[in-house]
Amino acid sequence: MERDQKSAAARVLIAVLAIIAAALILTPLVWMVLSSFKSSDQVTAYPPSLLFRPTLANYENLARTTSFLAYARNSLIESGGATLLGLLLGIPAAYAASVTRASWPALATLSARMAPGTLFLVPWYLAFRDFNLIGSYTALILTQGVIALPIVIWVLLPVFDAIPRSVLEAAQVDGCGVLRSLWRIGLPLARPGIVIATILSFVFSWNFFLFALVLSDHSTKPLVVAAFNFIGEGSTDWGGLMAAATLITLPPLVLAIAVQRWLVAGLTLGAVKG
Amino acid sequence: MASISLRGVEKRFGAVEVIPSLDLDIEDHEFVVFVGPSGCGKSTLLRIIAGLEPVSAGELRFAGERANEKSPAQRNVAMVFQDYALYPHMTVYQNMAFGLEMRRMTRAEIDERVRRAARMLEIEPMLGRHPRALSGGQRQRVAMGRAMVRDPSVFLFDEPLSNLDAQLRGQVRTEIKALSQRLRTTMIFVTHDQVEAMTMADRIVVLQRGVIQQVGTPEEVYEQPANRFVAGFIGAPAMNFLPVTQEHGAVRLGNGTALRVDHTRSGPAILGVRPEHFVAAPPGQGLAAELLLVEPLGSDTLVHFMAGEVRCIARVRPETRPQPGQVLHFTVQPDRAHLFDTESGAAMR
Repeated sequence: MERDQKSAAARVLIAVLAIIAAALILTPLVWMVLSSFKSSDQVTAYPPSLLFRPTLANYENLARTTSFLAYARNSLIESGGATLLGLLLGIPAAYAASVTRASWPALATLSARMAPGTLFLVPWYLAFRDFNLIGSYTALILTQGVIALPIVIWVLLPVFDAIPRSVLEAAQVDGCGVLRSLWRIGLPLARPGIVIATILSFVFSWNFFLFALVLSDHSTKPLVVAAFNFIGEGSTDWGGLMAAATLITLPPLVLAIAVQRWLVAGLTLGAVKG
Repeated sequence: MASISLRGVEKRFGAVEVIPSLDLDIEDHEFVVFVGPSGCGKSTLLRIIAGLEPVSAGELRFAGERANEKSPAQRNVAMVFQDYALYPHMTVYQNMAFGLEMRRMTRAEIDERVRRAARMLEIEPMLGRHPRALSGGQRQRVAMGRAMVRDPSVFLFDEPLSNLDAQLRGQVRTEIKALSQRLRTTMIFVTHDQVEAMTMADRIVVLQRGVIQQVGTPEEVYEQPANRFVAGFIGAPAMNFLPVTQEHGAVRLGNGTALRVDHTRSGPAILGVRPEHFVAAPPGQGLAAELLLVEPLGSDTLVHFMAGEVRCIARVRPETRPQPGQVLHFTVQPDRAHLFDTESGAAMR
């Protein structure tokens, strides 16, 4: 009886905490979405109004005055390319680090991730300038690949570690070399982890502003940089900015919702022995 | 089919020496069991033979050919792991077929081999299931099936029964033994269970701290243990060890009791007596044993008593219905008693 009361109290507490956490995370998002349907006057009005006549003017303005689809395509190419690069390099790296029990690759990539982006910016800029790659997709994919690679390695290392050694050894006895055992055994077993690594890499790369601001030009500018155009010297088009931000948020959000089941499984992978 | 020869094989993990230097010959078609306590190096030795662990020194030969540099696949070994190591994302059929696919066999041949092995192991209805949908015993069979279909030169078993319950363990043990007789392939089986070793092996290799203590048939290691370690490890309950002084044709215990024993010399020794080799004696003769504990097993009864400072176990007939506190008298079968050197523990013959 007492235990039932305790567990009921714990459930209520968890629900309250979850609501607080959700409110903290969702309030800015809801604010952003609501503001995108307001006129610029309403966005900055004080006190802010929750009841208003929604307008699509900001979105119409966005479509009319900017090359929104072109920026979206750029974002997709750059984030997709960086994610692919991160996966191509990160999956074998994480697998090798796991199989050989080497901890230094993970530490090295972590230190690269911990370092502020500005640290890489100047060397990257100089290098790409010398190769005449400023403003190219290559430069943006390579730099954002630097963001994606540590994420892939750090997400997949515990996932590969969780695969029993004996299973990999059984594959070895069955005639698999390292690459084939990665392909036939490691990858299928690490699928939930690969999904989460893909999503996280994509989202981080999609939202990464600094490298794109400096290394892109008008033809390769991604959405996050394009949205920056709404912030002017003297005035800011808050409604337009909110509409752009809402649209920028959509693809990663849709992606995350689509693979929600895998996402939760991937995040808890390796946490318990199986 | 392959004979295996290990010459001066050593294995070190950093500064830790797991196998100092080891020589061993395993004949073609032989069923050899590596037995020893945990950490004795038996699994490491098996992994060295499998090609999963490189040797630190020495040479390994398969059918007379140097195999040190060969991969497990090149050695054509098949292994059944302690946790079965089935591929969780594959069905039973795919698990069994995987090794054959790696050898680029035709689909028809793979199918034929998998179904034949599945029939033999009675797992045909499970071919479409995933390992998670199988019981421990069924997984064990699949692991064996996966090894069998390969038609390997050598089967390696790394404590494959340790995760099964007692009843199933006995059943699978019998099946593996029957399988070995049917397949006539060289088999190496690692266990810490001396009953498994005794019941399955053509020859037993007893290991302690990476050193072979004795290699012999089950009868040899049981009847003529090379040293006190082997004598104590093989046999359940374990052999009783009593410090004695040897006299001509007899030994004298610390309390003065004399027991007739064959092959005595002179000086101190350790008398080894298996529980079943104590013989009931008339009152006043032999060793007086006040029973501390009585364990009826049905087929016979174990009685615990003190012989001086040493706690001993004797096996008696159940119909004697001994009771705790009762005093029984025992002698030993003179020709079944063992004497060991007090220093080295080596058998004195």
